[in-house]
Amino acid sequence: MRVGKCYFCSSPIYPGHGIAFARNDAKLFHFCRSKCHKNFNLKRNPRKVRWTKAFRKVHGKEMTVDTTFEMEKRRNRPVKYDRDLVGTTLRAMQRASEVQEKRAELHYVNRMAAHKVKAAVRARVEIKESVDLIESSEAVKEAVMVDKLEAQKQKVNI
Amino acid sequence: MPVYDLKRLAAVPSASELVDIVLMRTQRKTPTVVHPGYKITRIRSFYMRKVKFTQQTISERLGAIVQDFPRLDDVHPFHSDLMGVLYDRDHYKLALGQLNTCKKLCETVTRDYVRLIKYADSLYRCKSLKVAALGRMMTLLKRQRASLGYLEEVRKHLGRLPALDPSARTLLVCGFPNVGKSSFMNKVTRAEVEVQPYAFTTKSLYVGHMDHRYLRWQVIDTPGILDHELEKRNVIEMQAVTALAHLPCAVLFFVDVSEQCGYTIEQQSSLFHSIRALFADKQLVLVANKTDAKKVEDLDAGRKQLLEDMLSAHRTNGPGGDEMAKMVEMSNVTEQGVADVKNLACDLLLAHRVEKRRAYQGGARVRDRLNRLHGTTPDAVEDIRKVAAAARSEADAAEARVAKAAPRPTERDVMWRNGGPGVYSADLTREYIGQLKCDEWRTDLVPEIMDGKNVLDFVDEDIVAKLALLDEDEAEAEEGLESAAREAAHAALSPAELALVTAVRDKKVLNRRVAQAARGRRNAPVPRQARLRSEGAAGNDEDDATVRGRAKSAAVKRTRSLSRPSERDGRAAARAEAMDVDGDADANPAKKQKRSASRGDAHRSQSRPPPRDEQGLNEADQDAAREIGKKMQKKMNRMARSGEADRKTGPKLIRWMNEGKMGRGARNCR
Repeated sequence: MRVGKCYFCSSPIYPGHGIAFARNDAKLFHFCRSKCHKNFNLKRNPRKVRWTKAFRKVHGKEMTVDTTFEMEKRRNRPVKYDRDLVGTTLRAMQRASEVQEKRAELHYVNRMAAHKVKAAVRARVEIKESVDLIESSEAVKEAVMVDKLEAQKQKVNI
Repeated sequence: MPVYDLKRLAAVPSASELVDIVLMRTQRKTPTVVHPGYKITRIRSFYMRKVKFTQQTISERLGAIVQDFPRLDDVHPFHSDLMGVLYDRDHYKLALGQLNTCKKLCETVTRDYVRLIKYADSLYRCKSLKVAALGRMMTLLKRQRASLGYLEEVRKHLGRLPALDPSARTLLVCGFPNVGKSSFMNKVTRAEVEVQPYAFTTKSLYVGHMDHRYLRWQVIDTPGILDHELEKRNVIEMQAVTALAHLPCAVLFFVDVSEQCGYTIEQQSSLFHSIRALFADKQLVLVANKTDAKKVEDLDAGRKQLLEDMLSAHRTNGPGGDEMAKMVEMSNVTEQGVADVKNLACDLLLAHRVEKRRAYQGGARVRDRLNRLHGTTPDAVEDIRKVAAAARSEADAAEARVAKAAPRPTERDVMWRNGGPGVYSADLTREYIGQLKCDEWRTDLVPEIMDGKNVLDFVDEDIVAKLALLDEDEAEAEEGLESAAREAAHAALSPAELALVTAVRDKKVLNRRVAQAARGRRNAPVPRQARLRSEGAAGNDEDDATVRGRAKSAAVKRTRSLSRPSERDGRAAARAEAMDVDGDADANPAKKQKRSASRGDAHRSQSRPPPRDEQGLNEADQDAAREIGKKMQKKMNRMARSGEADRKTGPKLIRWMNEGKMGRGARNCR
């Protein structure tokens, strides 16, 4: 029993799920659900369909190169069972998935960093342009100025 | 070694023809349309293709010529020498070599120009480069005019050479000019060689065929040979010499006994001795010809002696060991001895060939085969057998002992002992005993899947090392995360700014909503008809005035159903007014309104339409109407209808393609 991988969306296919298509050149295509199967039949390219893993990887939304990925590799050579080795492997798998999660988070943060800066800039522009809409703007404006000053000071200190 | 068909060489085009062929082919087989507007890569490849194609054609053509013509080293030595004599060996080789060089030069030119075209930046440049490349190649081709012409001549001549098989049974006729060689040839074969009473009537080799003993023989007539040194011999004589030198055959040396040919027997004998070396290992028959004019017996002693010397000078390695050559008297005129000559020569050659064959099969061939065989005799076989037998008997004994001690229980026995079928379940893991590092592991349930991943994909000898590496990397990654967080904090908004921007945005939303409410577009838009109806219904209320005031609908005014009640009201009001003698008009403002409103129409018949300037919609309504019209049109446009009435359904099958008589042919034949 193996957990397969969907040809279209790359999600895991548990035993008893999904459908497989054998092309006349003997290539097998596994699909996790009818949605993926239908999309394949529509000749859609998974790299161009936004909701697939392939799209996300191609467009830099997710990690593609990482040492944790290298640990998982399909090995077609049978290995004799060894309790110690399997035990270590299971622990390693857990550890690897933890690490992978963290790295994914870092990847996300890095990806969003520029966006956050942009959003802040936009917000400041908006404040500047439309602060007059709010009553008692004077007091708030002053508060903002104080904040800015402090921020500048901090930067200088660092 | 390649096999050359000398008779069927392809014609060699002349230089100008070759140029035409190449250029025509390029023109016909490559695309011809290109525009300056195309992508430059496309233009470049267009011209590169032309240049390359031209070069390919040239290479193909010249290569074919070089390949087709026989290499002098590869053909039978007879043919090689003959061609060397006829066409001048050096000239022949040079001509072919020049074609080969030309081919290579064309390739170089192409390589250079294609490289240049790769960097050309416009159609014009590309084209100029192509023209230059083709021009240079054509110049190279034109320079091959002499070689090509020469090769064409050679080809033609080769085609006319007699079909001479060097390995067939051959009689070769030779001697001085005019001794009767060609006449003999005409007697024994049907070759019909030209016979004339002057020297060198026969200028090249002729081949005739005849049958003897149900075998096919070829008779080769050679031009006459004069008695002088080899170097002085001309092309015609050299052909005869070549044939003598290279063909395994029986030689008929013709001697004109009557000396009518103009050469004395002495001279003929001297020739014989000078070319005697060429007869070595061949069957020689000395033919004393023209015995009708003078018989051998009638010769004087000196001449007879010369003939004897000629005979004795030659030794054939025949079947009976060394044999003297034989002399036969013959006359072409009386046909006396012709058959004898033929029979003798044929028999001699045949005997020789048979002997040679037998010698090969009996001796050389057997030796050949024997060399490939290798025989060995294994020794000490007996010992091996003994050892094997001993081992076998020991093993048998051991097995028998075990079997006697405790017969091994079968799986079936075990099953019955443990409750029978349905109760007993076989322990398959027993097979693993001794296979694993630790026998107790054999009953382990090995996890296959964990957290959506295949455990087997992770099983690795170096997993520990990899994990350690991962942990190392992880420390760095955490630092990265922290620094990223710090940077983000820098860029982030302060709480005060956040409050402010939130307030600003909230305010904006609020303003937007207020504006929307003011526009009255909060609810779903009411269909126009429904609105009209409701407005019409409200026509009697006090709102009526405001409705009219807004000049909401001239259309409303025009519609009979709507206008009627108001006018009726108008009339009723008039009646009421008539009855109301007091005439207090101001007491009823609504009434007043109506009157003033209808006053315009007072002098106008009700059945008449309103004046032109009042007809139609005002500007605002026109816009609305246009919008509605557009909306109504949308669906029709989508369905490709010309209007509401367009309900046309086209034929699903095209009539002329699908009806009428059909034969048995395929449907797609129409």
